[in-house]
Amino acid sequence: MQIDLTEEALEYEATVRRALEAAGGDELAPRAAADPEGRAALVEPVLAGLGVWDLDPTGSVDELEAAAAVCRAAGWWGVAYPVAERLAGRIVVDDRKPQAVVGGIDRTWEAVTLDGRRFTATARPLAGLVRKHAYVADLDLTAVDGSADPVLALVLPTFTLLGMVERAMAMTRQYVNEREQFGKPIGRFQGVQFQLTDAEVERAGFEALVKYTLWSFEAQQPEALQDALALRVAAIEAADLVFRISHQLFGAIGFCDETPISWVSRASVPLRRLPFGLADARSQLVASLGDRGLTGIFSDLFA
Amino acid sequence: MDYDLGPEVAELRRELRGLIDEHVPKGYLSPFTDDPADLAVAQDFCKVLADRGQLCIAWPEEWGGRGASVWEQTAVREEMWAAWEPRGAQYMGVNWVGPIFMRHGTEAQQQKFIPMIAKGDVIWCQGFSEPNAGSDLAAIQTSAKRDGDGWRINGQKIWTSYATMAEFCFLLVRTSKGEKKQHGLSIFIVPMDAPGVEVRPIMAMFGPHHVNEVFFDDVWVTEADLLGPLDHGWDVVNEVLSFERVGIARYARDERLLQWAPVALGEQWDALSDEVKSRWARMLIHCRRARLMAYRVLELQQKGTVTPGDTAAYRIAVTRLDQESADVLIDIVNASVLESDEQLRFKREVEEHWRYSLSATVASGSTEVQRILLARNLLGA
Repeated sequence: MQIDLTEEALEYEATVRRALEAAGGDELAPRAAADPEGRAALVEPVLAGLGVWDLDPTGSVDELEAAAAVCRAAGWWGVAYPVAERLAGRIVVDDRKPQAVVGGIDRTWEAVTLDGRRFTATARPLAGLVRKHAYVADLDLTAVDGSADPVLALVLPTFTLLGMVERAMAMTRQYVNEREQFGKPIGRFQGVQFQLTDAEVERAGFEALVKYTLWSFEAQQPEALQDALALRVAAIEAADLVFRISHQLFGAIGFCDETPISWVSRASVPLRRLPFGLADARSQLVASLGDRGLTGIFSDLFA
Repeated sequence: MDYDLGPEVAELRRELRGLIDEHVPKGYLSPFTDDPADLAVAQDFCKVLADRGQLCIAWPEEWGGRGASVWEQTAVREEMWAAWEPRGAQYMGVNWVGPIFMRHGTEAQQQKFIPMIAKGDVIWCQGFSEPNAGSDLAAIQTSAKRDGDGWRINGQKIWTSYATMAEFCFLLVRTSKGEKKQHGLSIFIVPMDAPGVEVRPIMAMFGPHHVNEVFFDDVWVTEADLLGPLDHGWDVVNEVLSFERVGIARYARDERLLQWAPVALGEQWDALSDEVKSRWARMLIHCRRARLMAYRVLELQQKGTVTPGDTAAYRIAVTRLDQESADVLIDIVNASVLESDEQLRFKREVEEHWRYSLSATVASGSTEVQRILLARNLLGA
């Protein structure tokens, strides 16, 4: 039993996080929004310098866990660049309305549907304000022979989302300790504390599930896709609750461009909605389960 | 990462399931029933486990245990709780009374009590809560006052599980007034048949004999009955509560019932609404989530880095899961026509689970207390 990423992966994550901080940290997202076409240049070279693009997550367990750690570090700063999508090597799409958060990045992508159908994908140009499109571009798909596994491409972006959720919690904890009203930090009020604890339970549960699901992929469990769908349900629920509570506790300032929480919050939205949102994720999971429960301690007891 | 608990744990689960199938009648729902046969089931099952060295599997070999790994211990907790805890009241003695004696007992106490617990020969009750000391446990008023070469205990305990069955009470009393209310508390081991001890069962919705009041009227104890250092009982209580807070694998019973649901319903499963199935699937995710959070707490405990916040977050997740899963299961039962023996058994278990789950967010430290502990941890307060 080893329920955390390897020490090496965690060290790598810390290195990536520091490098992104040195490259701009919380300023990376506003700078990208000011010049969407130039956003790749803010992140790609920094990560290239650390060997991130040389990682092959399907090559070894160490590289897989390192890739997951990088995605979480990218999420921490809410970087406006599809790090997880590049590392996974493909994007999961709903081919009825193919979209991905890859607008303005000049690349041809491999896309895959949940049932494993493969495509090449190119992003249509973005139009309008970043505030509205959040780099989500419509994709033109061209079918390709053969099938591909969508699991890793579902799981790695979820590590990015976890990084965002963890950052939101860290910022909110700090804010409620500093912000005073009625003569004391608002974190002294039980009404505030209890909201924060609800958010923390979700964060902790999300973290536990995302690591388990990465292992499920890593260990080639036959139900890895089901696990990824279950993770997606839990991840969206956790992120929805954590960001709602963070915004509530930050109050009006949390919506303003001057606060990093507002940037991390908006960066998390496409990750919660694509390739499918909560209702679709639940439906997909229920359809996949049929009349057999999710793998657990007692899943074989009634077989 | 590696979430495989290994072949020893898988084998242990198989063994325990076989023993439960063989020795616990189908439909057993705990010893807290009107039928004395249910208490006998639990006591007999404990003997079976004790004879096989599996009752105190976690204990060191010198005390009759097997020195089992933390994951084997976890498997025992999960399998037992899922099967309605057929060890009955014994889990208390095994899980924390015995280990507390090992850490704090005198040699005479260890020699007297530990073998009894290892053999499944003794039932304990825990005298902690009082009418005016629930979540604020350190506010207890039951006192032990010096009287010659012993002590006289007076006061009242409440919500005491197993008091009607127990031979001994693990009793928290005030022995002096300290600077803080947590100071000046001590633990005494009190025989339940001592003169002056009176048990009054409280009839409640969970079933008979579940909770009780216990009155202590000039009960005489001696120095030999004191467990741990005088006036420092609060430290012992904290150890007990930390055992309790991670002790119950509620997620295991939740998962077993959720996994059983489609099988019990048979063809009727397909007719359930998408809404109900979606909630069912969500609860299975939450079972996995709670289990993984428990495993994390156990791993951190082994490393010595666990915080009260880690345990509290798990407790909040698992007790909410208990109640929410019970609600979903009740909806599944209500939406179906259940007639076969298996279906009726499923329905009875779900009903019992729902009733019992109401107390999940109250027992062993309320959710509010857990949230306070977690908030302190998060905010450094």
